[in-house]
Amino acid sequence: MDRNQLTKWIKSPGNMGHKYSLDVVYFCTGCGIIEIPPSITARWDAERFGVKPVATPRQANLFLITGYVSVKTLKAVIRTYEQMQEPKFAVGFGSCPINGGMYWDSYNTVNHLDKYIPIDGWIAGCMPRPEAIFIAVTHLWTLIDKEIADGYKRYRDKYKYYRANQEKVLGELEWPPLFPEDDKK
Amino acid sequence: MNQELKKKINSSFPSAKISLPNESRVVIEVNRDAIISVLSFLKNMGYEHLSMVSCVDWIKEDEFELIYFLNAYMENDEEYGEIEKSTILLKTMISRKEAKYITAIGIFASAEPYEREIHELFGIYFEGHPRLTHLLLERDYEIPPFRKDFDTRKYVKEFYEEIPFVEDREEGKE
Repeated sequence: MDRNQLTKWIKSPGNMGHKYSLDVVYFCTGCGIIEIPPSITARWDAERFGVKPVATPRQANLFLITGYVSVKTLKAVIRTYEQMQEPKFAVGFGSCPINGGMYWDSYNTVNHLDKYIPIDGWIAGCMPRPEAIFIAVTHLWTLIDKEIADGYKRYRDKYKYYRANQEKVLGELEWPPLFPEDDKK
Repeated sequence: MNQELKKKINSSFPSAKISLPNESRVVIEVNRDAIISVLSFLKNMGYEHLSMVSCVDWIKEDEFELIYFLNAYMENDEEYGEIEKSTILLKTMISRKEAKYITAIGIFASAEPYEREIHELFGIYFEGHPRLTHLLLERDYEIPPFRKDFDTRKYVKEFYEEIPFVEDREEGKE
């Protein structure tokens, strides 16, 4: 263990634990998924950073959305995000989730993903290289250290605003609210 | 080769315009009432596979063009004659104002998803189709999005851009 980090471990062991074992659910919405196989396998080996893919969102704490988000996909993105356990971090990969990218004027692509779910960080580029994922991961470590990667807390606090935005695009949602209003009181 | 096919179709449907753009392609243009009978005629000839139904919006002519792609599927390779190797494109024009047509499901069951898609994206109503519900989209559009008069940029500005960021909502900037 790095001795310099010893104080951090003593101060907040939970944070340090989350930080070095990020289990990722990759959401393959668009072309971004092509960068994922090399980054999780021998060539770039994401496991050096404690990043490893998992099978289901219930086992994951990092959500990587790789590509444009159509309205139908948004439904799946929201459901996946809500199934993950806290603490959870969401990262948008590529320029399409940021502001629509090259599909910004499409009739069926949502332009700003952070209107519908909270995003802790963005990886800009079209396409970003696999190295960018690792830069993002190390940035995320810093954010977790400083406790500003608080997307899941924002989601809980401002859930009614997020839900309102989701309903505006998707119409009536088929599932009940994740945080009903009565629970908060 | 294809000339034989042309003669066969012309003998039954004298009004059909047939052109042969290349060796493996036969384009048949018929008027809108004849499509169903031509489809069943071609099916009996051995073109048993409807591989696609496509639609084009000719906004200047004020018409939609429906295109049916037909192929022959034989059990054995030996059964393929020279005729069966070609793809048939069956075209018809329908009015844009009265976007209604008859479904081809009775003859080719595989037309179902294509007609559903055309109904969703071009707004053509297929009479006799059992379920014209949403296939790809999640909600209704005022103008179906694949029509030429659908302005995507205007739509994006009026719909997606109008949704406020959560931070703005909180400050009451809605």
